[in-house]
Amino acid sequence: MLRGVLGKTFRLVGYTVQYGCIAHCAFEYVGGVVMCSGPSMEPTIQNSDIVFAENLTRHFYGIQRGDIVIAKSPSDPKSNICKRVIGLEGDKILSNSPSDFFKSHSYVPTGHVWLEGDNLQNSTDSRYYGPVPYGLIRGRIFFKIWPLSDFGFLRDSPNGHRFSDD
Amino acid sequence: MAHSQGWVKRYLKAFCKGFFVAVPVAVTFLDRVACVARVEGASMQPSLNPGGSQSSDVVLLNHWKVRNFEVQRGDIVSLVSPKNPEQKIIKRVIALEGDIVKTIGHKNRYVKVPRGHIWVEGDHHGHSFDSNSFGPARSTTVTHVLQKSNHTEVGCLQALTQVP
Repeated sequence: MLRGVLGKTFRLVGYTVQYGCIAHCAFEYVGGVVMCSGPSMEPTIQNSDIVFAENLTRHFYGIQRGDIVIAKSPSDPKSNICKRVIGLEGDKILSNSPSDFFKSHSYVPTGHVWLEGDNLQNSTDSRYYGPVPYGLIRGRIFFKIWPLSDFGFLRDSPNGHRFSDD
Repeated sequence: MAHSQGWVKRYLKAFCKGFFVAVPVAVTFLDRVACVARVEGASMQPSLNPGGSQSSDVVLLNHWKVRNFEVQRGDIVSLVSPKNPEQKIIKRVIALEGDIVKTIGHKNRYVKVPRGHIWVEGDHHGHSFDSNSFGPARSTTVTHVLQKSNHTEVGCLQALTQVP
């Protein structure tokens, strides 16, 4: 009786470890489903939306300007942030609001990206903590699953004028 | 004839079953717990690679210890290079956030390490691409902490001021 229970427990632990490892490999190297929270990417991504993220682009260093990425938060290492890539290395970034009389600008250093949320008024992003190292990017979001009224590929940035690098 | 076909089918089934267990478990272990790597370069002499290009050290990279990004002063860590994300560099942690560092060859003589950052230096000063070149590094780019397989004990730290 005891041997039967022990055998069953070992089998259960074995299956859990095996499927846990398969899940880790899938999330790390392919992609997964992510739930986003916070208002910083409105209107593109609302609070509690469920999106699909893929990690292949990051491993092949193919992140482009305009991609929405998930990255490790520079302020809190245990959480992730979800922002749009505004500038890659070498790009000129206009800092502060366009209404400033003297526009100040800076260049994104090599190996870093400049992230901004779509909801510029309510987003803590690179304007607050500076350029983010490329190594902190975890994956790229490209498809929204929930809510069903917004099902489909994600829209371009509503702040299109931010992308100029001249 | 039918007997040997059954044998092949059973062999393939066993192989696939073993494959789908072994590969994910191995990959997860190498990602999350520890892996082994060869050290290249002279920036950590004499602690690592004292023999130069003749013999590269092989080290155990421990991920599990830094899964919460907690490092101590004096640890040798591997981090994603701030200039080139495809490369990992191995340096020693000199200072943690809040400490004041006396730099060698940096544009400011004294630097206070900001929150969420660490100051890393190679042991071979002058031959090392480290925080003296690129400034403080974010502690979330640290991937592993080193455990040496052989060679001499690592020496003591350079003097620095610690702000509590």
